[in-house]
Amino acid sequence: MSTHTLKLTSHLRSVALAVVAVPLLFVAIAALQARIDVLSAPVTQDKEELLLRSASLLKKLSLGYDPLLADIYWTRAVQYYGTRLQNRSGSFELLAPLLNIAATLDPKLLIVYQFGGIFLSDHPPGGAGRPDLAVELVKRGITANPNEWRLYYDLGFIYYTRLKDYQKASQAFLEGSETPAAPIWMKVMAARVAENGESLETSRFIWAELYDSTKDESVRKTALEHVQGLDAEIALKRLNQVSELYWKKFGRFPTSMQELRSAGLVQGDLKDPAGYPYAMGPHGIPQLDTHSSVKIESNQRKP
Amino acid sequence: MSTMPAVVAVNTFREAVRDRVLYNLIIFALMMIGGAILVGEISIGVHQMVIVNLGLSAISIFGIIMAIFIGVGLVHKEMEKRTLYSLLAKPIRRWEFLVGKFAGLLLTLLVNTALMTLGLTGALYYVSRTFQRSDVAILVAVYFILLELALITALALFFSCFSSPMLSTLYTLGIYVAGVFAPDIKGVSEYTQSPAMAAGARFVYYLLPNFHNFNVIAAAAHGETIPFTLIWHNTLYAALYVILILVAASAVFSGRNLK
Repeated sequence: MSTHTLKLTSHLRSVALAVVAVPLLFVAIAALQARIDVLSAPVTQDKEELLLRSASLLKKLSLGYDPLLADIYWTRAVQYYGTRLQNRSGSFELLAPLLNIAATLDPKLLIVYQFGGIFLSDHPPGGAGRPDLAVELVKRGITANPNEWRLYYDLGFIYYTRLKDYQKASQAFLEGSETPAAPIWMKVMAARVAENGESLETSRFIWAELYDSTKDESVRKTALEHVQGLDAEIALKRLNQVSELYWKKFGRFPTSMQELRSAGLVQGDLKDPAGYPYAMGPHGIPQLDTHSSVKIESNQRKP
Repeated sequence: MSTMPAVVAVNTFREAVRDRVLYNLIIFALMMIGGAILVGEISIGVHQMVIVNLGLSAISIFGIIMAIFIGVGLVHKEMEKRTLYSLLAKPIRRWEFLVGKFAGLLLTLLVNTALMTLGLTGALYYVSRTFQRSDVAILVAVYFILLELALITALALFFSCFSSPMLSTLYTLGIYVAGVFAPDIKGVSEYTQSPAMAAGARFVYYLLPNFHNFNVIAAAAHGETIPFTLIWHNTLYAALYVILILVAASAVFSGRNLK
């Protein structure tokens, strides 16, 4: 056999081995990796650290690639929030610094202010419970983007829903309504909040506008949950008034929704936004079905 | 069994020593001494943690630089100096040559890492005046760094079989960086709405060498116990991946026309 043939045979043997072994080894490695993911979770858990917290230093270090770095930090912020929410760890201490860095690196990245406004201010476990930081972030956004009505809306939203400061909320909506591209309802909203800040209907109006005006899925999901919760609250409030009517008429509270129907005070099978019928609780207080996924923030009338 | 890979390995190690590769230990020693003194002055209550973080990070960075920059020249240098031709004229198979080169560089990295670990241990003793049971985690972290270096060496060697040192460096570095961010790639597969994107990201996640597996520096610095099952799973992972890369490298190198 010639040297050339020997070399060719040796090469073919190596290639054949690679063709068989490489895919098999990849499969074994993938299976092993899945196992390592489970094993390493406790070791790598809660080790999230933000080594460089100085946004201005990062801007200098980015060597002109600050918009790209801003996108990376924005993605990190979203992933951080998502992972923390999934783990139900309840603390989001790095969310504000991550968003602040992204906003400093690219002050025009509007989504940062909106996302931060909602999830920094939201109550735990859904958010960081820090409306003060949310206000600070959105105000920075307004300074950098004074013509963006959306940011005034976000500011008013935090004042209204989290801080219950209706005067400042109305002021923010009003200032936003004066920006060039502001929708007409901003003025209406400013007036409604100033006039009747605490009403459930105003709250629903604000959350529904948030739902309609955003494209961010996580924000939409949160807004929808609140809209559904407020719809349920409004329905329960009305049922409560009906229950009081029943008491005036029969001298006792109804024990079931059927009794209200029999008395002709309500018609049909009333259901909450999740599709569960409303139930009658003790002392004639209507309530949500225990299986319902709808969340409401306040309880109805005390007996 | 042929002793040729061992002969090549020993020669590769000798060559690295001759090339004054181990001089990086002087920089490491200076860093450790400086760090140990400085930490005592400026940090409160976290002396040990800072030294462990600094030491392990330096071991990892020095090792990675050596593995990449020496690894990419392993085959190319022999070809450029024409020593490969006289070597392959001897009764040595090409895959034996590759395995020998890989083992030689790994031996260099092992000696280098062992000496740096000694330096770290000394600095640690200087700041805390005692050793604790939990310090074993530091040795586990060093072992994981070695596994990581073995994988990087294999990658660099693979690319050096068919590419120039410059491009091999870029390829190896690229795969290393991607492998470090493997959990983020997995994160994409979990959070994306698109099933195709999720499947693609998952595929890439399992395909890439996952260098994140070997990073337990934070756990070691906090004195946490690293489970034995994780140690042997990571060992097996690194071994399988190294075998895979060496098999692929042999297939490529055996087909190369060296005339």
